Amino acid sequence: MLVADTICALATPPGTGGLAVIRVSGPAAFDLVQPCLRSRTDLSQADGHTIHYAAFVDGDSIVDTVTASVFRAPRSYTGEDSVEIGCHGGQIVARNIVAALVRQGARPAEPGEFTKRAFLNNKLDLTQVEAVADVIHAVSTPGAQAAARQLTGGFTRRLAEIRNRLMDVCGLLELELDFSEEDLEFVDKNDLRRQLDEIGQVCRELTESYESAHILRNGYHVGLIGFPNAGKSSLMNALLGRRRAIVSDTPGTTRDYLEETLHMEGIAFKLYDTAGMRSSDDQIEIEGIQLAESIVEQSNCVLVINDASAGAAHSDELAESMRARFGAVEVLTVQNKVDLVKQTADELKQTRDDLFISANKGEGLDALRAQLVELATSSSARVNDVLINDRHVGLLQQVIESINNAMTSIENAPSNEFIAVDVRLALKTLGEITGDNWSEDLLTEVFSRFCIGK
Amino acid sequence: MQNRFDVVVIGGGHAGIEASMAAARMGVATAIVTMDPNAIGRLSCNPSIGGSAKGHLVKEIDALGGVMGRLADRSGLQFKMLNRSKGPAVWSPRAQNDIALYPQYARELLESTANLTIVRGKVVEILVKHDRIVGVRTEDNEEILCKAVILCSGTFLNGVMHTGMCRTDGGRIGEKSATLISDLLAGYGLEKGRLKTGTPPRLDADSINYDVCELHPGDEDPQPFSYLTDAVANKVMCYATATNPTTHDILREGFDQSPMFTGRIKAAGPRYCPSVEDKINRFADRDSHLIVLEPEGMQTNSVYVNGFSTSLPEDVQLRGIRSIAGLERAEFIRPGYAVEYDFFFPYQLRFSLETKAIAGLYFAGQINGTSGYEEAASQGLVAGINAALKLRGEGEFHLRRSEAYIGVMIDDLVNKNTEEPYRIFTSLAEYRLVLRQDNADKRLMKYGHRFGLIGDTAMETSRTRWDRVDRFVELADKIKLKPASVNPYLESVREKQIEQSTQMALLTRRGQVRLAGLLQNDDESLQELEDINHNETVTLAETEIKYKGYIDRQMRDIERFQANEEKRIPDNFDYDNLKSLSNEAREKLSKIRPQSLGQASRIAGVSAADVSILTVYLR
Repeated sequence: MLVADTICALATPPGTGGLAVIRVSGPAAFDLVQPCLRSRTDLSQADGHTIHYAAFVDGDSIVDTVTASVFRAPRSYTGEDSVEIGCHGGQIVARNIVAALVRQGARPAEPGEFTKRAFLNNKLDLTQVEAVADVIHAVSTPGAQAAARQLTGGFTRRLAEIRNRLMDVCGLLELELDFSEEDLEFVDKNDLRRQLDEIGQVCRELTESYESAHILRNGYHVGLIGFPNAGKSSLMNALLGRRRAIVSDTPGTTRDYLEETLHMEGIAFKLYDTAGMRSSDDQIEIEGIQLAESIVEQSNCVLVINDASAGAAHSDELAESMRARFGAVEVLTVQNKVDLVKQTADELKQTRDDLFISANKGEGLDALRAQLVELATSSSARVNDVLINDRHVGLLQQVIESINNAMTSIENAPSNEFIAVDVRLALKTLGEITGDNWSEDLLTEVFSRFCIGK
Repeated sequence: MQNRFDVVVIGGGHAGIEASMAAARMGVATAIVTMDPNAIGRLSCNPSIGGSAKGHLVKEIDALGGVMGRLADRSGLQFKMLNRSKGPAVWSPRAQNDIALYPQYARELLESTANLTIVRGKVVEILVKHDRIVGVRTEDNEEILCKAVILCSGTFLNGVMHTGMCRTDGGRIGEKSATLISDLLAGYGLEKGRLKTGTPPRLDADSINYDVCELHPGDEDPQPFSYLTDAVANKVMCYATATNPTTHDILREGFDQSPMFTGRIKAAGPRYCPSVEDKINRFADRDSHLIVLEPEGMQTNSVYVNGFSTSLPEDVQLRGIRSIAGLERAEFIRPGYAVEYDFFFPYQLRFSLETKAIAGLYFAGQINGTSGYEEAASQGLVAGINAALKLRGEGEFHLRRSEAYIGVMIDDLVNKNTEEPYRIFTSLAEYRLVLRQDNADKRLMKYGHRFGLIGDTAMETSRTRWDRVDRFVELADKIKLKPASVNPYLESVREKQIEQSTQMALLTRRGQVRLAGLLQNDDESLQELEDINHNETVTLAETEIKYKGYIDRQMRDIERFQANEEKRIPDNFDYDNLKSLSNEAREKLSKIRPQSLGQASRIAGVSAADVSILTVYLR
């Protein structure tokens, strides 16, 4: 390994917690940690992948009782000799341990430096480095799983398939140009069009799975809207199982919006409780309503909460206008306060295809939860082994554009070299996604996503 | 004899001619040493200059102030712009040349150039002191002292010729080979390899029945290569015929006697100029290949059989030839043969073509593993310019891949593995649409002018020409043509007619529309173009307008490319410490020592992952 110094940093989030882990990596990792440990174990002699109990001392004073996990190069995350010190959570202990290690000669790590070393030591390729960031940032179990699969190279393989097909296309185009003196024809234009079309289709599918990937990465966004006093805040509280929103009988109590996260079946749901929709002269409320609309725009699903006691069709116009204005967003009508209606829920269900609940009595909530989970799962189902992030989607869109340009050239341009311009560009861009083509921008972007300790 | 020069050029082939002419014209005392002054500029294979991508090289040589284009124009027998049916970027000029006149004019040119001395002799030793050139020694034990040597030895380093199973020493038919220099250079640690090239048989014109062949004429409006030539004319007719299944059967019978198939030629041959036996082998499903019969000169009966390069035994060659329509009674003036020779792996060169091991020693041409007159001449020119620049104390001349095919070639030579003779192709250029044969002067003349190889007048003419084109392109965006003016033309080329006045540029971009066609009317807005409405300007402007979208995309790509070329790697960077690099990458990077991350990314055996590692480490 070329990096001569040894780095250390807190690897778990700072703040109060049960445990915290401090990472130490570099050629002097063992020598540097050893003086801080009161233990029978000599780390430099210990086997890799072993854990040792010890007291961590700074000079004469004991800082904490810790476990020291030993990893020997190259079989560690960074590929270097590493120690991971598990201590009790809390800011003070971890900070003191890092300070003691720095006094021993360790250098505080920079953001992403552990991963950078892993990369420099061939422990990870670029898409895997990206996946590390995705695993860290994943907010859902399927998302983490897809990221983990990417860590083993799944995404790269999918793109490699497209890339190979494009290379074949490119090779034929060039061969015909190179042998033009012999007047050989290698390229069948119809076949070429079909090939490019298929490749473009695969790219489009990958891009479309971005939305799903976005859900896995960032959670499924659910906006709660409805007329004032329909019970949006009550429903939010009921779903969360605690009192979060202020509930009152006065319409218009919720003036901006509230955001909370709810985990169900391993998926993160972001719930947004919004101000009631109605025309209002109250300035604050108007802003709240505008805010509600912008939330709808960014949501995967909108629950239009209707006060059933005011009539089942009371909010239909609102729901329709949401569907008309935000076509991509799933809109469900939820009939609340069914306990206040004379008809039974079963009777209501015969006439309307809505969800029937009573937020206050806790009725119908399981069905609502199940419905949300189903929606989120089906919209993320397209994500198989591929998790697309912003960088990928940007580059894939460029690939699609290049392929479209190439298809246009097949019709309009006089000769292969024009088709080749865009096929070559598409190849280059694909290579930047997979890391087959070197691009410094990519490196900057990939490594900038990391925080200290990763 | 004078025995002290600034530059000594060894070899009078196409590389040697350009190298010695450039150096001498840049004002340094130059000697060109050749075993036979009559062999200067000899067209040892096909008597033809240019062709696909090679024609681009000739135009570039001309724009830089080299001489190949002029010589080809003067000695040309038939001129053709290849690929006319394709886009302007792949149009390539080609000329057939008189095999006697080309060398004659070349020799006359050298003889009439100031600062240039032709020395008859054979160099047996290159004199080096403290890893620096001090001179050369000839066979007659004469020392010529100099500060730079440009070695353009062609196929003469340990050259061995093969015709069938018969093998003789020599670099060209009837000429001896040079054996000593090669071993001597290897002694300085220069790594050498072995390559093979071949040339087809020559036929006696009187023995050919042209009546059954198709005419293969030159262009109706033949265009010269050189900006110095006013006009050229076609003087001969060529004829086309083709191989047939019988030909293929006959040649196949001879495969077991072919030195290539039996492994007697150990070196690799060029993949892209395949011998006819190669073609039969590789394209097995094709039962016919094009053969063009090209007269080699006005004063000779010799006819070159283009498309029949072979190293099969003479009797097999002859039977094969005689199975072809029109050649039933053909007689050989001389059979085809293959030659095997030493080359030095070009990763050992700087971009100036100076060897890294010995200061003042330059290599140009086949010694660098290339094939072709044009490739050799380009390198000779670059080496000659650089040798003179160094003596004048000026910086190296280095063309980028985005500027010239010459830049593409030298970059490839330095960075890629040489497994077979290198031949230029348009597919090797990333920025093909920008590197056209019609804009070589725009791209390169400024350099030739700066070095003193291009005169002020020529420079000025070129500038004016492109100023006109730029103005034309600009106006085409502004000028709107009326429906009444252009609809008749649009109808005649089956394009949709317009209903309201439309920008000329937009109309030009339509598939079937030619810019010249839009100008054949009396729309008053065309008056603005009056002083720049010339054929040449219109042709050049049409390309710029029609393909603007493509050209813009390439230009954006070029900007990114340039940015990567600016990302420097420290000169003394120690790759051995970077253990995470693959072994091959570490070895290649240490050998080639790329100047930039961009260059590193082009080195064969260095993967994108390796360059990423380098980038992450260097940041």
